Amino acid sequence: MSASQQLTPTNPNSALKIRLAYRFLLTLNTLNAKKPPNFDHTQIHRRSHRVKIAAYASMASVVGPKRAWSRAILWKIRNRGMLARNKKRIHRISTPIRLHRHHARRRRNPNRVVHVDPFVNSGLEVKLRKLVPGAETIDPCGLLDETADYIKYLATQVEVMRNLVDLYSTI
Amino acid sequence: MNPESSSGGHCPSFMFNSLPPQQQFSSLIANHPISGIVKPDPGWPEFSVYGGQLGNGYLNQNTPGVADQTFTPANSATVSPKKRKADKVPSLQVVSEKDKKIKGCAEEGDSKITHQYSNCDNKSSNSKEASNASSKEKSKVSEVQKPDYIHVRARRGQATDSHSLAERVRREKISERMKYLQDLVPGCNKITGKAGMLDEIINYVQSLQKQVEFLSMKLATVNPELDFNIDSIFTKEMLQSPIQGLGCSSETAADFQLNSMEQLVSYCGLDMDINSTEMALRRSISSPIRIPETFMESSCFNQIQPTATWDADLQNLYKMEFEQGTLIPFQSHQFTGSNDGSNMKMEM
Repeated sequence: MSASQQLTPTNPNSALKIRLAYRFLLTLNTLNAKKPPNFDHTQIHRRSHRVKIAAYASMASVVGPKRAWSRAILWKIRNRGMLARNKKRIHRISTPIRLHRHHARRRRNPNRVVHVDPFVNSGLEVKLRKLVPGAETIDPCGLLDETADYIKYLATQVEVMRNLVDLYSTI
Repeated sequence: MNPESSSGGHCPSFMFNSLPPQQQFSSLIANHPISGIVKPDPGWPEFSVYGGQLGNGYLNQNTPGVADQTFTPANSATVSPKKRKADKVPSLQVVSEKDKKIKGCAEEGDSKITHQYSNCDNKSSNSKEASNASSKEKSKVSEVQKPDYIHVRARRGQATDSHSLAERVRREKISERMKYLQDLVPGCNKITGKAGMLDEIINYVQSLQKQVEFLSMKLATVNPELDFNIDSIFTKEMLQSPIQGLGCSSETAADFQLNSMEQLVSYCGLDMDINSTEMALRRSISSPIRIPETFMESSCFNQIQPTATWDADLQNLYKMEFEQGTLIPFQSHQFTGSNDGSNMKMEM
């Protein structure tokens, strides 16, 4: 009986998990292949940051460009070099800050800050918009939609990662 | 908040005929069932509201239909309006079919559409007086096919101007989504009201993100054993098969390497199943069977306890574990509570 090896997913949730797991493992492998892992304290911190980015990137790329949050994540990751540079520039120079901000934001930035009138609860809405990537400029109806999708994928990703950690730590 | 209206303005339907055919056409294109509906992005199909429009058909069943379409984008093909009780059925369905054919034939579609809409208009203008008279009586809110506008029927004893109707449509959309979110976020059944729900959602998202961070840190420390693990995982998989009666020992090491990724994936995809089988291997084969409930409580974060035994009825075992697998999402809420405690445990 090939039950242990070839169990087919019986619900869409496990199919999703398999896809996420596969994607995540690919990125993890490339991460490990690039840099030989060592147990230095600072290195671990950096590696964990990279693993976190890999997790979000794999999650977003499984979804593809269908969702606003996945697009925002992918955009952020692809342009994190540029964003880091802009941040540094803004912090250092004091006076031309406003000009730089206009320049920086002019690129097609799905994460731009736009003042949206929250529909009912002001504080909570804004908080939610900050939490969900790419949700700053969406109407409240779509915001809840995006949040639901984001929660679903995030929860499955957390499960996959948890199982991986288990797997590695118990072998 | 006023609903957005398209540039041409939305006249009541009895004046629809007076719109230039091109505008009708473009509006129908823009709200083509497949392209218009299920965009989750900004740009919900623009709509305006008609007060007391169409016949007597109650269309509450349309709203669940709309909800389904929103949340299962794969279903976008079945957007044609749900069954309507009124005499509107034939004309509207014909119209919706015309919607689908629009993309193919422009010119013929044009004339046909105007024809159909004129039919529609006559009927609707007839029914409009009747419905205006009866709008005060019992009737329910309804949503119609997607072109351009959403027909809403005012409820008994409520305001009938377009603003409040639009408000009501918006509010109902939002409450639908809140209900869906309630199912997603564990432990939200008792909480009613938007503010509490939003609070819970925010907390849940924050906790999930913190878990991702914590887990990535763990993965960064544990990961160095990756290559070694793949081989060992695979050999253990091969070890399982003789026990179950499979004779797969003829596979070579090269095959192991090739398949290791899929094996790992199947490991992760099958969650508790494989974990439990692995546990069983590492301990003794004759460990006692655990009751499903207790197995559920022993989460991945807490200590891993002996789980299952290998006896003849493995089918039963896997069935149990699949059930447990579906209950996993509900555990994550418990995790967040015990997260800090288990963090300390793991770090020591």
